[in-house]
Amino acid sequence: MSSSGLSEKRAGPSAFDEPLGGFGVTVGFVNASAVLSVRGSMDHLSSCELGAIWDAVVERHLSVVLDLTQLTFISSLGLQVVATRALQLKASGGTLIIRSPSSAVIRMLELRGVAEVAHLERTDPSPSHLGAEQTSERDGAIVDVEPHHMSRYLGMTTGIPADNDVVDGALRLVVALARATVAGADGVSVSLRRYGQLGTVAASDQTISDMDASQYATGEGPCVDASVKGRWFHAESLETETRWPAFTPRAQALGISAILSTPLLAADLPVGALNIYSRTAMAFVCEAQVLASVFATEASSILTAAGVAVTNEQLSLRLGEALRLRRLIAQAEGVIMEREGVGADRAYGMLCDLSRRSSLPFHQHAADVTASTQRLRTASDPEPTEHHDG
Amino acid sequence: MAEMSAAERPVDALDQYRRDAGLSHSELWLRYFEIGGMSNAVELEAFLYGALQPSTHDREVIAQALNERFVELGGNHPVPYAETDN
Repeated sequence: MSSSGLSEKRAGPSAFDEPLGGFGVTVGFVNASAVLSVRGSMDHLSSCELGAIWDAVVERHLSVVLDLTQLTFISSLGLQVVATRALQLKASGGTLIIRSPSSAVIRMLELRGVAEVAHLERTDPSPSHLGAEQTSERDGAIVDVEPHHMSRYLGMTTGIPADNDVVDGALRLVVALARATVAGADGVSVSLRRYGQLGTVAASDQTISDMDASQYATGEGPCVDASVKGRWFHAESLETETRWPAFTPRAQALGISAILSTPLLAADLPVGALNIYSRTAMAFVCEAQVLASVFATEASSILTAAGVAVTNEQLSLRLGEALRLRRLIAQAEGVIMEREGVGADRAYGMLCDLSRRSSLPFHQHAADVTASTQRLRTASDPEPTEHHDG
Repeated sequence: MAEMSAAERPVDALDQYRRDAGLSHSELWLRYFEIGGMSNAVELEAFLYGALQPSTHDREVIAQALNERFVELGGNHPVPYAETDN
């Protein structure tokens, strides 16, 4: 996979080269890894932004490189964001490399248990790089982000159909059709990766759902491998199966003897799997494999059409544009706060009011507000006078 | 149509607006993030379904993101904004 459009933009002024606080994130893609290069100062706001960008990227890439080479400061919230995401990524079976962390950052990450789940790739640290980081708590108000914060939310949203309901409905139909037509199929399910975690979006019954859950829990099994590696996996007989030692006994305990997992691809990226289970060993003959492939292709078309996997370039561009617009809106908020003597929430509300009274998009008003200060500044600046010596 | 009070609205009313707007969860999150939202995609989804209570500011940003979409579709800000002291 080639480097993204945003990486290419680094050479010139881009959405990521923001003057405010000097913070920026470049999202690039090298082979199957997403590379998040952070630069500048990572304070309260930028930590949240990095977290949001991380989540959007990890939804599709379980291999992440966090490059801190150009980081000049990281707040404790920033460390917490990195630590929480690192632990989640490990729990999802992903890998994380943190490139060029300073020794101060390494110490703080070790305290949070990150050293055990991520590879800390040290490069020759320069003294200036060591000096700037984590010497003080710059943001007075540290937002409360507990380690279990995310897993609590994930627990709450379990069972809620994520993303497009129509897609989920179509996938349930695929499951029902495969169950009815594939010879030897005793149960069928579709696994899909959302928010970086595999989940079952459609299953023919509870046993099958439990079967998938066992694979997610052990991080192994044909469904996990097909979803991650994008290849099909066929366990002809679990009696003789050796590839998934933790999962296989669980499947046998539920009465399953054969499994056929076919990958689902959206825009050529593996995003999930169609899983067919049988109580009979050697149940899936050639014809069943062909049918499974047909259904998986149909499901992949549905997922591609729904834009489940945007391309790396599209994702990078959207995130870059989103960061640019966020900064524009933050600037406009600042102008209104200063001008009207109000707080941030009220300033945001005033921008909403402006937008409500017109059909112009929100960021257009923000741009107008910011531009008005430029005009005022220009008007109040004395005209440059020309001096003639002669 | 008379506006429903907050107590009368179904808990997933915001998600109903999302569906009416024809936005996927991830597309709505991008729009929400773009205009200053601070929560991640999972949290946003929990707000939409009523599993979590958004802050007043978050509620305002979600309403704004949805309303911008409705304006694109020719609507006129149907999603009520947060009940603030504005």
